[in-house]
Amino acid sequence: MLTPGELVWLIAAVAKGDELAFERLYAATRAKLFGVVLRILRRQDLAEEVIQEAYVKIWRSAGQFNPGLASPITWMASIARNRAIDVVRKRGEVSIEEEPTAMEVAADTPDPLARREMTEELKRLLECVGRLEPDRQKLVLLAYYNGWSREQLSAKFETPVNTVKTWLRRSMIDIRECLGL
Amino acid sequence: MAYSEDHIALAAEFALGTLDADERAQVESLMSVDGDFKALVESWEFRLGVLNQMVGSVEPRPEVWDRIKAAIGVSEPQAPLVLPEAVRPAQPFAPEDIAPAPAVDNSNVIRLSRQARRWRSIASFTTAIAAALVALIAVGAYQPDLLPDAIRPRPRTQVVEVKTPPTQAPPSAQYVAVLQKDGGSPAFILTVDAATRNFTVRRVGAQPEAGKSYELWIVSDKLQRPRSLGVIGGNEFTTRQVLSGYDPELVNQATFAVTVEPPGGSPTGVATGPIVFTGKLVEAVPPAAPSATKGR
Repeated sequence: MLTPGELVWLIAAVAKGDELAFERLYAATRAKLFGVVLRILRRQDLAEEVIQEAYVKIWRSAGQFNPGLASPITWMASIARNRAIDVVRKRGEVSIEEEPTAMEVAADTPDPLARREMTEELKRLLECVGRLEPDRQKLVLLAYYNGWSREQLSAKFETPVNTVKTWLRRSMIDIRECLGL
Repeated sequence: MAYSEDHIALAAEFALGTLDADERAQVESLMSVDGDFKALVESWEFRLGVLNQMVGSVEPRPEVWDRIKAAIGVSEPQAPLVLPEAVRPAQPFAPEDIAPAPAVDNSNVIRLSRQARRWRSIASFTTAIAAALVALIAVGAYQPDLLPDAIRPRPRTQVVEVKTPPTQAPPSAQYVAVLQKDGGSPAFILTVDAATRNFTVRRVGAQPEAGKSYELWIVSDKLQRPRSLGVIGGNEFTTRQVLSGYDPELVNQATFAVTVEPPGGSPTGVATGPIVFTGKLVEAVPPAAPSATKGR
């Protein structure tokens, strides 16, 4: 994996139309981005399609990347994840019953081995998520990592959708306050 | 700009991913007309994005790269809707992008028409005039004081650029009006589906006044007087079909206004209270259109 600094340099080159830089950027980031979207889409074909669209968008909008706002990988992952969420929301809901493995995958949140590689921003965010009630921590992380809808979360937590809605909103406001924003 | 807690929560939930498809489309619409709101959403995306550090890597198949290469090879590289005189991001334009633009006032129209052609090639809808109108309205919505003194669309029309068609595109064009007071924070977002002409109003910043109702009106010089579209804001979302009786062109050019009325709306069919919010429609989501890069 290249350093964030190297990735910034590559994106700057991509913005100038440097295809070789784009190839290197792809090689350095594709597995991370694919991991993110596959987890949400759970289908190889859909994930490949989304990844393809995401990289085309990255190619086209590299000039708009602002390293002052986000790290390169966060920016790129946001583009890919947004596409993935759009796809799952528009496909309609796949019931949890149809995807028994979803529950298992859902359980794994932070990987302890990775902790020493965490950035300060991540530590801070996790600290704030950690201050939510245990159920809401899970709610937020399931929503983020698995891209679950309110309906799916409602089934998982055996709670009315409207309550899930309220919990999500409250949780985000709490996280915001905790981050001191 | 200071946003209400409703806005902040909406932005956060968009970034979290829990909004449904319609709500996502509305947020994208709002982002396309409100740069500050776009920044708010992105700040949430980036803040939550660090969570992806935890996600395990999975190698995609090699074919994916071939398809990406093909996709960027066949389409022009990097051509967001940035007008020629815009501060050019460090991005090359294909020669045909630069070459023919004459140095006269209508260069913008020509540029927009080329962009429109690209959309039309996907969806066959937008005419150059419509695109120019959209740009103008977008400028108007964004910085109303630019009009009418400077009628020419300016680089500011790059707000259109975020309207990249979503992955699986909606079936028809979506128009959106942000109803606000004097360029202040949005109070309602009005979305109109071009095909069904259903409209949905989402309450975002408006605080319902006790014992009063908000009533929505359509105002046009083609109508003898403003017509009521009903009471809105009682719930977070209000959806109605009443626009289907109106000429589409009239709807596109009309002003939408919200007044404060007695509970249940004006008893007379004529607005009795003050106009508190207004807005006009802009095209937010081009019709149909999977993204241009998608294989067909």
